[in-house]
Amino acid sequence: MGEEKKLNRKKNVLFCVISVIVLCIMLFPLFWILVTSLKTEQEIFQIPPTLYPHVLNLKSYAAQVETGDFNMFRAFGNSFIISVGAMLIAVVLAVPASYAIARYRFVGRKAMLLGFLVTQMLPVSVLLTPMFIMFKGMNVYNTWGSPILADATLGIPFSVLILKNYFASIPKELEEAAYIDGCGRLRAFMKVLVPVAKPGVIVCAIFSFLYSWGDLAYGMTFILDQQKRPITAGIFNFMGQYGTTWSYLTAFAIVTIIPVALIFIFMQKYIIAGMTSGAVKG
Amino acid sequence: MEKIKKFFKYDNVGLLFALPAFLYMLVFIGYPIISNLILSVQDVTVRNLAKGDKNFVGLGNYMTLFQDGVFRTTITNTLKFTVFSLVFQFIIGFALAVFFNKNFSFAKPVRGLLMIPWMIPMTVTALIFKFMFSTDVGIFNYILRSIGMITENVEWLTNTNTAMWCVIFANVWIGIPFNTILLSTGLTTIPQDLYEGAAIDGANGIQRFFKITLPLLRPTIESVLVLGFIYTFKCYDLIYVMTSGGPVNSTHLLSTYSYKLSFEMFNYSMGSAAANVLLVILLLVGMLYLKITMKGEEE
Repeated sequence: MGEEKKLNRKKNVLFCVISVIVLCIMLFPLFWILVTSLKTEQEIFQIPPTLYPHVLNLKSYAAQVETGDFNMFRAFGNSFIISVGAMLIAVVLAVPASYAIARYRFVGRKAMLLGFLVTQMLPVSVLLTPMFIMFKGMNVYNTWGSPILADATLGIPFSVLILKNYFASIPKELEEAAYIDGCGRLRAFMKVLVPVAKPGVIVCAIFSFLYSWGDLAYGMTFILDQQKRPITAGIFNFMGQYGTTWSYLTAFAIVTIIPVALIFIFMQKYIIAGMTSGAVKG
Repeated sequence: MEKIKKFFKYDNVGLLFALPAFLYMLVFIGYPIISNLILSVQDVTVRNLAKGDKNFVGLGNYMTLFQDGVFRTTITNTLKFTVFSLVFQFIIGFALAVFFNKNFSFAKPVRGLLMIPWMIPMTVTALIFKFMFSTDVGIFNYILRSIGMITENVEWLTNTNTAMWCVIFANVWIGIPFNTILLSTGLTTIPQDLYEGAAIDGANGIQRFFKITLPLLRPTIESVLVLGFIYTFKCYDLIYVMTSGGPVNSTHLLSTYSYKLSFEMFNYSMGSAAANVLLVILLLVGMLYLKITMKGEEE
C-alpha cells in the first residue's frame, strides 16, 4: 500500500486551505438551499441575494402541516416505512445468498452471479410497465407494498455483491470449528458467520435504505394516492401543482436530506466502505 | 428422496441459501424483462391494457420509433449527456483523487465530506439545481451578472441551447464523488517506491503521472468509466424533475422519453420498445463491465 510521505508544514497548511475551498464550492448548493428554506419568499427574490436569512422564517416547515396541501411529515413517514421495508427484504434475502456464493460451488452459481451483476445495469423504464401490470394483478398497486417490493430489487444485487467478499474473507476454520461443536449448517451460519460479517451487513442495510429513500420512479408510478406517496414523489407533485414556491420546496428538500445527513454523520465509515467496493451505483 | 439428499450433501447445499434471493429477482426482475419484450411486439395502450385482445404487431413499434424524429433526438441527447457528464466528472474526480491522496491533515475528513452530493436523493439534487439555474432568483445568473459575464438574465432551463448543459452540470456534481473515491482507492494501491525510483532516475511529475500512475491505474479507470457510462446512460429522475425532457425535447433521454410514452401518453407498447432499445445499448456496454468483474471471479 502506498502512503505518500508527510508534507512539510507550510505545504500542509496550503493543502488544507485548498481542500476547504474545494469543499465549500462542492457543498455550496446544499448550504444555499438550507439558507433559502429559512428565508421569506420576499427575501428569496431580493437582489443582491442575502447570504443568511435577515428575517428568520420557519413557516415553510410548518405551513404544509397547517394547510394540508402537502403534509411533508406524513410523506416523510411513508418514505421511511417503504425504505425500511425494502431494506429488510434485501438484507434477509441477500445475506444467505452472498454466503452461498462465497462458500459453495453449487450448480448454477456462475449464472446466478451473472444475473445479479446484470440487474445492476437495468434501466428503471424497462421494469416499470410490467411491474405496474403485475402489481395491479397482485392487488398491491396503490399501496406501500408495491414500492417496497420494487425497491428491494435495488438493494439485493448490491448487497449480494458486497457481502460475498466479506464472507469470502472469513477463514473457513471458523465455520469448521462450529461444525465440530455440533452446529448444523444453518446454525453455524446464523450464530458464527453472520455476526463476523456484521460490518458488511450494515453497509448493505445502509445502501438498501438509501436506494429506496432516493427512489422516485417506483413511488410515483405505483402509488397514486397522495396520502401514501413517498416524499420524493410528493415533492415532484407539489412542483407540478404549485409551481416554484422556493421557500416551501427548499424546506421539503432539507427535510428529505435529514436521514441522509444523519446516516452520513454516524456511519461515515460504512458509506466509504460501500462506495469503494465498486459495486455501487454512481 | 435419497437422491435429493445426496444432491444437497456437498456444494449444492449453497443452492438452498441462494435460492430465495434468486427467485425473488426472477419474479420481480426476470419476469418483467420478458414481459416487457412481449409488450414491445404487441399493441397495448390504455384501452386494452386490462382486456385480453392484444394484437401482435411484430417489430412494428420499433419501426415506428426509428421513424420518429423525437426518438432519434433522444438517442443523440442521451449520448451527449453521457459523454460530457463522463468527461467532466472523470477529469475533476481524478484531479481531486490525486490531490486528496497527498498526506495532509485534512485529506481524509474533507474527502469524506465530499461524498455527500452522491448520497442526496436525485429528486432533491434536481430541485437544488433547478433553483440555482432559475432565471429570476437563480444564484448563477446573479454571480455571472456581478462579474460582468452576462448583462441580462439567461433562461438556462427554458432555452433549448442551454438546458442540456444545465442537466449535465448537475449530473457532474453527483458523479464527482463517485469518481474521486474509486480513483483514490486505486491510487493507494500503487507502491510509493515506484515514484521514488523514478524521481531518482530524473523523471518529472508529468512523466511520472503518464508512465506510472496512468498505466497502473488502468483497471480502476476502466471500471470507473464503464460503471459511470451505465449509470449515466440510464439516468432518469434528475432529468425528469429538472426539465421533464423539455424545452422542446432538448433534454429528453431514452429513459425519460420511454416513461413519457408509457405513463403520459399511455402507449405502453411504444414505451416498452423504447426502453428495450435503451436496454440493448446498456447490455452491450455492460459486457465490458462483466468481463472486468468476472475476470476477478476466476481466481
